[in-house]
Amino acid sequence: MSEHINEQELTEMPGTEEVSTVERCLTFESGDLILYISTKHVIEIINNHSITKLPLMPPYIRGIINLRGQILPVVDIQLRMGKESPELASKTCIIVLDINSVSLGIIVDSVRQVIDIDLKNVRPIPLKRQQKLLDGMVTMEDGSVFMSIDCQALSSPQ
Amino acid sequence: MDNGMESILDTYLFETNSLLDQLDEMLMRDEKIGDFSPDDVNEIFRIMHTIKGSSAMMEFGSLSSIAHHIEDLFFYIRDKGIDTLDSQHKKELFNLMFRSEDCLRGQVEKVESGEPLDTDLDSFAAEINSFLKKISGAGEEKAAASEPAQEKAGEPTETVPAGTSVSPESLPDDKSAVCFLHVFLDEGIGMENLRAFMIVNSLKECELEFRYYPENMESNPDTCASIIEDGFYMAFESTDMAAKASDLLRTQGHIRSYELLEVAEEKQEEAPHTETAEAHTDSEGQAPSDQAKAAPKPPAPAKQASAPAKQNLISVNLMKLDSLQNLVGEIVITESMVTSSPELNQLSRDAYDSFMKSARQLRKLTDDLQDITMSLRMVPISGVFQKMSRIVRDMKQKLGKDVRLTLIGEDTEVDKTIVDSIQDPIMHMVRNAMDHGIEDTSQERISAGKNAQGEIILSASHTSSEVVISIADDGKGMNPDKLLAKAKEKGILTKPESEYSKKEALGLVMLPGFSTNKTVTEFSGRGVGMDVVKKNVESVGGVVSLSSEEGHGTTFTMKIPLTLAIVDGMKVTVGSSTFTIPIANIRQSFKILPEEIICDENGSEMVEKMGSYYPIVRLHRFYGIETEVLNLEAGILLWVETSDRSFCLFVDELIGEQQVVVKPLPAFLDYFELKNFGISGCTILGDGNISIILDIQSLHAAALENI
Repeated sequence: MSEHINEQELTEMPGTEEVSTVERCLTFESGDLILYISTKHVIEIINNHSITKLPLMPPYIRGIINLRGQILPVVDIQLRMGKESPELASKTCIIVLDINSVSLGIIVDSVRQVIDIDLKNVRPIPLKRQQKLLDGMVTMEDGSVFMSIDCQALSSPQ
Repeated sequence: MDNGMESILDTYLFETNSLLDQLDEMLMRDEKIGDFSPDDVNEIFRIMHTIKGSSAMMEFGSLSSIAHHIEDLFFYIRDKGIDTLDSQHKKELFNLMFRSEDCLRGQVEKVESGEPLDTDLDSFAAEINSFLKKISGAGEEKAAASEPAQEKAGEPTETVPAGTSVSPESLPDDKSAVCFLHVFLDEGIGMENLRAFMIVNSLKECELEFRYYPENMESNPDTCASIIEDGFYMAFESTDMAAKASDLLRTQGHIRSYELLEVAEEKQEEAPHTETAEAHTDSEGQAPSDQAKAAPKPPAPAKQASAPAKQNLISVNLMKLDSLQNLVGEIVITESMVTSSPELNQLSRDAYDSFMKSARQLRKLTDDLQDITMSLRMVPISGVFQKMSRIVRDMKQKLGKDVRLTLIGEDTEVDKTIVDSIQDPIMHMVRNAMDHGIEDTSQERISAGKNAQGEIILSASHTSSEVVISIADDGKGMNPDKLLAKAKEKGILTKPESEYSKKEALGLVMLPGFSTNKTVTEFSGRGVGMDVVKKNVESVGGVVSLSSEEGHGTTFTMKIPLTLAIVDGMKVTVGSSTFTIPIANIRQSFKILPEEIICDENGSEMVEKMGSYYPIVRLHRFYGIETEVLNLEAGILLWVETSDRSFCLFVDELIGEQQVVVKPLPAFLDYFELKNFGISGCTILGDGNISIILDIQSLHAAALENI
């Protein structure tokens, strides 16, 4: 279904010669950043799930959740990026992802919307960083900057 | 399309493997009595025929050709009767058959792993042929008799060229026919009448008009015999038609030979005048309706017929069973979520009662469902044991030792995953017993006052929660001092030699890099044996122990939990976390008074129980969990043990006992190797929360051994 819509919109969009460079992405807020991830990785968005802590884990792994019988790890991307994370609010928002058949949830502040991003416009981040969780940035028409999450880095623990 | 091919391949592999298993079983049984029963000869012939056919269909040439040669061999044996072979030949035949089985298995394994098949198996085929020649011996004409059979996979041979006249007596009484096609089927294909009918049908589909004899062959199984003996006839009214038909026959399977027969002159003369019209209505009216009725049928009965004694079994993908089991586990949990939901208290008394009544009904059904799901995964262990008799047989010959294998409790049922994971360990231990355990010569045994024939006993039995598998030999046994010396040489001792107890010394065998045999043999002695065995068994939650009396033999015992999926657990809390500890590991729970605690120089705590001292592991400290219960007297101690390790766990509170469905932790977390820190999995509780399942063995290792 979503593919169907995708195709339709793409054909209507002016100026896109190479169809394959446009990707449908979910944007969300985490800390003061606006991030996006391709919708092909997104399974669902859940709220208010109770997280079971696991001992002996690095802090960024908040624990595991029971999603209809499936056990998923939950990663706090704020902590993963080496930032301070506030204590979990009562309304935790978790995006459930499937990255190359590794399932996990990430904690975000809030989910924005689904937009189409032309991958041709994505630029690399011109800074050297230790914790490389973001791998690209793109400027939107209104001047705001969105950053892309490196799925590979996210799905391999360190 | 791909998918279709895949599932055909799956079916092929499954079928071929089970046929080979069947063959193996039969060969082992027959070898014991040193003779093939006529039934088994037939059965082997049938198995080879099936493998030949299906392999040819899948275009696995080498498999098909080996099976084909064995089929020829057994065709001959079946024909002449097994009794014509002398015992020397029979022995050779057994060896040949075992080797062919291995060869076939090797090829099937290659198919399984997607490797290309061997193409140069001609030498092996030649071996089979030379054996066939040998047993057919001087009787040249006998060998000749089997020659046509070898040809049968190829084109049917047209033995008599067209135009031969034969005596009319043997032909069916059909006045309108000008010529007949006389068709012989392959021998031993079974259900000859239906096969013949299928051939007839496929010719009719090509718009040929003819009649066939025996007329009632599709419905009358008794015609089988005559078709085998005399073939069957197709009657044509024109030679053109018959020629066409004979061309088409080339494309049909299962035909050994056919011949075109022309009816003597005078008959041919009168036929066209009198009965053409009738013949037309015959073939136009009756035949098509017959055809429509019968066409879809033949494949089905033919298939059933090939395995008349087969049990009513289906094969199911293990993945499906796994997900079924998961689902059932979910249902059980969800059910208790529903029946214990707090909203129920708001119901009126009557409504609550009737709700509980239905809830109990549901409970019963889900319990039954759970039992059945569990039983689906249970398979008898006999398959594994059977393979062991084969190994013992092979090694017996190679090592020249006289050993008998006694199997006890073959029909013990075990979870399929467990069966898969214990096959290699058992094989290893049986090999070890053969190679190192049993004395090299029977002389040695006799002088030690033992029966000249060595014995290995492989037994399986159930206890309430475990399967116990033991491998016992009555051989040399192990010498603890020798083991210690050896271990010292290898530098794997962890404390002074004198401090090792006998049990500990024997346990050295299971350390990595320990192999007492100086020379590496084909079967064992690479020093990667017992530690791998131990690891494999532990991976399914089992333990291996061994006892050995020097001069009297060695016994390995494996204890493996019945099923991995469901555990009787004790729920405990530490801070805000819930843990589940397998009940099987808990010996006792008790409160403790401050004066009972004894500390060593590092402040590690111990407690005395039944005359021994046991270390205390504070779970909250080990896992770094915040809790308010810090004093040992405020919480509770659980005395836990696993195999030979015993210690006490300190937790906040006991909650209660519950059966839980074990779920593995997400693969994402494998990186952190929680399994090495006492966490073996997790489970979902009735309220939807997650509880962590502790593994006492690795918890002991992490908390007490590696400090």
